[in-house]
Amino acid sequence: MAVIETLNTGFGSWNPLIWLAAFIIAIILAWFIWLRGESDYRKGTEQTKPFISGNAEPEKGEVHVRGGNMYWGFTNALEDYYERLVPLHSGILTDYILWFLGVMAIVMILVLGGGLI
Amino acid sequence: MIDVILAVVGGTIAVTIIGIIVGLVLLGIDRKFAAHMQARVGPPLRQPFIDVAKLMCKDSIVPENAVVSVFNAAPLIALASAVTLLLYIPIAGFYPLFGGLGDAILVMYILTVPALAMVAGGFASGSPYATVGAQREMVTMIAYEFPLAVAIVAVAWRFSMAGFSDPFSLATMAGVGSGVVVWDIVGPLGIIGCLILLLVLAWVTPAELSRVPCDTPEAETELCGGLVAEYSGRNLALFYLAGGVKTFAMTALGVAIFLPWNISWFIGITGWTALIADVVFFLLKVIVVMFFSVSLIRVSMARFRINHLVSLYWGYIAIAALVGLMMIILDVFMKGGVVL
Repeated sequence: MAVIETLNTGFGSWNPLIWLAAFIIAIILAWFIWLRGESDYRKGTEQTKPFISGNAEPEKGEVHVRGGNMYWGFTNALEDYYERLVPLHSGILTDYILWFLGVMAIVMILVLGGGLI
Repeated sequence: MIDVILAVVGGTIAVTIIGIIVGLVLLGIDRKFAAHMQARVGPPLRQPFIDVAKLMCKDSIVPENAVVSVFNAAPLIALASAVTLLLYIPIAGFYPLFGGLGDAILVMYILTVPALAMVAGGFASGSPYATVGAQREMVTMIAYEFPLAVAIVAVAWRFSMAGFSDPFSLATMAGVGSGVVVWDIVGPLGIIGCLILLLVLAWVTPAELSRVPCDTPEAETELCGGLVAEYSGRNLALFYLAGGVKTFAMTALGVAIFLPWNISWFIGITGWTALIADVVFFLLKVIVVMFFSVSLIRVSMARFRINHLVSLYWGYIAIAALVGLMMIILDVFMKGGVVL
């Protein structure tokens, strides 16, 4: 029984195995629904070509969304923030350690200050 | 052990059936609301059921560029994870089936799984439209998670300050057993804070459900369906069902946190009639929440551009959520409402 015991923190609870069991059962039920659907389609025909509004499919490399563009929208909306943040990434290890120590100091002041209050 | 297995199996089957039926009915009601607001008659309430039946009869095409296993698995994972959400949310004032086995933090995590499954399916489609749609879905998720987390944590923290154990439990927030809801423990400032957080949750709902004006990942008019552009037949039907179940789960979550009252004690009835009255009242509240957070917003607004959506959620709505949180904190410091 120990393996299905729930983690209770006093603030909330979490039992991963029970969720996993329910998820697997739900997957099986979803699969039963999926099985009842039409499975057939015309392989190797126009039907299986990617839909690009009737245009011919370009070279795959040309339409590939690169990792750098993955979060466009986010980086564009927060452009002012990134314009300041990116130059800070100098690639020099000592700079990063300095940032780490600085942030740690601020966190400790906040935690210790909060404790004193 | 046997009773645990029976509860998990029986509960999951029951919740799957109920979740799908109620989810599709909600989608039908939403379409009816939207139609009437646009001076149209609209489709019948059973139209989502007809749509699913129709999709199940259509060819389920797997594109030649697709990663077949991920492409086919994504709709299954989306529906299954959406169903498991309902196991942790109090329905009609009843203790959730898995109430003591997961809390609001878990629900927030599970809410991301259907969206992540759609992202995986979009990337696995091997289509430029679907890839751009999947990219937008990821950005949308990053945008709305922060205000959602602030809204839920703020309410849980207020319960904690009022001396409740398990403040992150949705049963605690819904007042199951105690009969105490968040409006009972906050003072005047806290009431304003909770109203702001209620509005924040209402604004997070269309983004969570990828509905207009936050449907940038699908964007029919520019991306031809985006991350579901290559989906058809039974795979698309499962995504549709997952959307219905998630609509039910999100609106039920809003009801559980901010509008959890039952009606049976108010009109003084007991027994089976009270049970039926509470279930009907709960469904009415779900429909009202859906009307204001989905139907009304999607009819009255046009689609956001993806960068505008991020600005909105990380800017205005995040600030609104933090203001709501600050008002609840101030309420506690000023000894408003119930403070331990």
